[in-house]
Amino acid sequence: MTALLEIRKLGKRFPARHGREPSPWVIQDLSFSVAEGELLTIVGPSGAGKSTLLNIIAQTDTASAGEIIVDGVPVTTRDPRALKPGIDRRIGYVTQDDNLLPWRSTLDNVLFALEVQDRLDDTGRARAQALIEAVGLAGFERYYPHELSGGMRKRTALIRTLVYDPPVILMDEPFAAVDAQTRTQLQADLLRLWEMGRKTIVFVTHDITEAIALGDRALVLSKQPSRIAAEHIIPIPRPRNVKDIFALPGFAATYEKIRADVQ
Amino acid sequence: MTDTPAPAVGAIRWRRLLDRVLVVAVILALWQLASWHVGIYWVSSPWGVTARFAEMTASGELIRHAGYTLAEAAAGTLIAGVPAVLLPLILRRHPVLVAILDPFMIGGYGAPKLAFAPLFIVWFGIGMESKIALVVSVVFFIVYFATLNGVRALDPKLVQTAQILGASERRIARHIVLPAAVPSIFAGFRIAVPYGIAAAVIAELISANRGLGFLVQTGATNFDTTGVFAAIAMATLLVQAAIWLMNALERALLRWRPPVDAWMETGP
Repeated sequence: MTALLEIRKLGKRFPARHGREPSPWVIQDLSFSVAEGELLTIVGPSGAGKSTLLNIIAQTDTASAGEIIVDGVPVTTRDPRALKPGIDRRIGYVTQDDNLLPWRSTLDNVLFALEVQDRLDDTGRARAQALIEAVGLAGFERYYPHELSGGMRKRTALIRTLVYDPPVILMDEPFAAVDAQTRTQLQADLLRLWEMGRKTIVFVTHDITEAIALGDRALVLSKQPSRIAAEHIIPIPRPRNVKDIFALPGFAATYEKIRADVQ
Repeated sequence: MTDTPAPAVGAIRWRRLLDRVLVVAVILALWQLASWHVGIYWVSSPWGVTARFAEMTASGELIRHAGYTLAEAAAGTLIAGVPAVLLPLILRRHPVLVAILDPFMIGGYGAPKLAFAPLFIVWFGIGMESKIALVVSVVFFIVYFATLNGVRALDPKLVQTAQILGASERRIARHIVLPAAVPSIFAGFRIAVPYGIAAAVIAELISANRGLGFLVQTGATNFDTTGVFAAIAMATLLVQAAIWLMNALERALLRWRPPVDAWMETGP
């Protein structure tokens, strides 16, 4: 497997502003790579710079040091005005907040990317409808976001990115704000969708169980300045049953190992 | 914390209607009393105005004059409204230009536009053009600043999301900035349109040979208070109708918003 996304010695400090000094390094010397078709999870305590890391990869924020290489080509820039969010649709980003467009129905939110990319044809519509059905949103196509439950909004946000099939998808604790049962269901949905297409996913979470349940490999972030503190291959075979993940052989030992590394 | 259950929406609406009728009845009664005491010559009377209003409506005179005023106000609102909405959308990516324009826009917003009416008449003649020009000058700045506020209040995360999903700047303006600004745009028009109609009437008052302002002017010259009130009543009706139309349009465009409780709905 070749690395589709590579992060080399990434560093980040926030620039000086209004007479303040530049911030201390929040990320320093952070390196990892993701293979095509891999589901990589990154665990880190709150404030470890997880969102900042993903923002830099998605190019909604600049890096202060280091390089990001997508498909063999460096894409890093230090100039905020030269940022290309999503790097020409090659990086999808499912953020912590669902950021659904409140004036668009479920279906129109899912179709948004195809529409603005001028790729909205019958195939695209069929794909959107299939995804809507796959995550149990059938019958809610004409509902507006404010009429949906938290879990349904998360599902809509998830398939809104899946529908246009970006090569790499970043996920920033997308299931953090829902209750435990819904979260398990959403994790199962995500795994099912992933098994169908085997997208390259970088999934950030503070929840060790989630990192084990979803990932092929889990990276542990250190406290600030954050770097990769440890790497764990998840030895649990797929397909996995997320609901009974605790009972699967290998879970307990992996959990203990990761917990020891998370400060 | 309230323990009393909220009354049904229908009941609230009826109660509100009843209260409004009551307010109207009190005002009319006071007016009638005043006309008996002060004299019908000075303040006319509700009955006299109603009769004149009906008579002038039946003869088509009131409708014809109201039509001119309405046409001026509508044309002015359109001519001012389109650029007032588009400019902030286009300038969103050019904060320097907005900053350069700002003092001029504030000046235009603050200047007493009605004082320009005589000048507009000199420039554009006593026909509809001078009235439309005054309406434009009144409506433009109000709608511009309302839209600008809406654009500034936009959630940058929605823009970022759209960029990541591959939307061009033009698409973002159309699909993110414009819909997000719609409530502010309507807030602007709701304030601007009554002023616009008033501006048309006032421009007619100064110099015109038709329109509701012309009727007011003629009535005042002939000491016909009843005629003045009938024309003002018609102008008020125009404003009410315009607001009703805008509210209906806004409701249709903002179906996506969570419904508001009936008792929180306020006019205009």
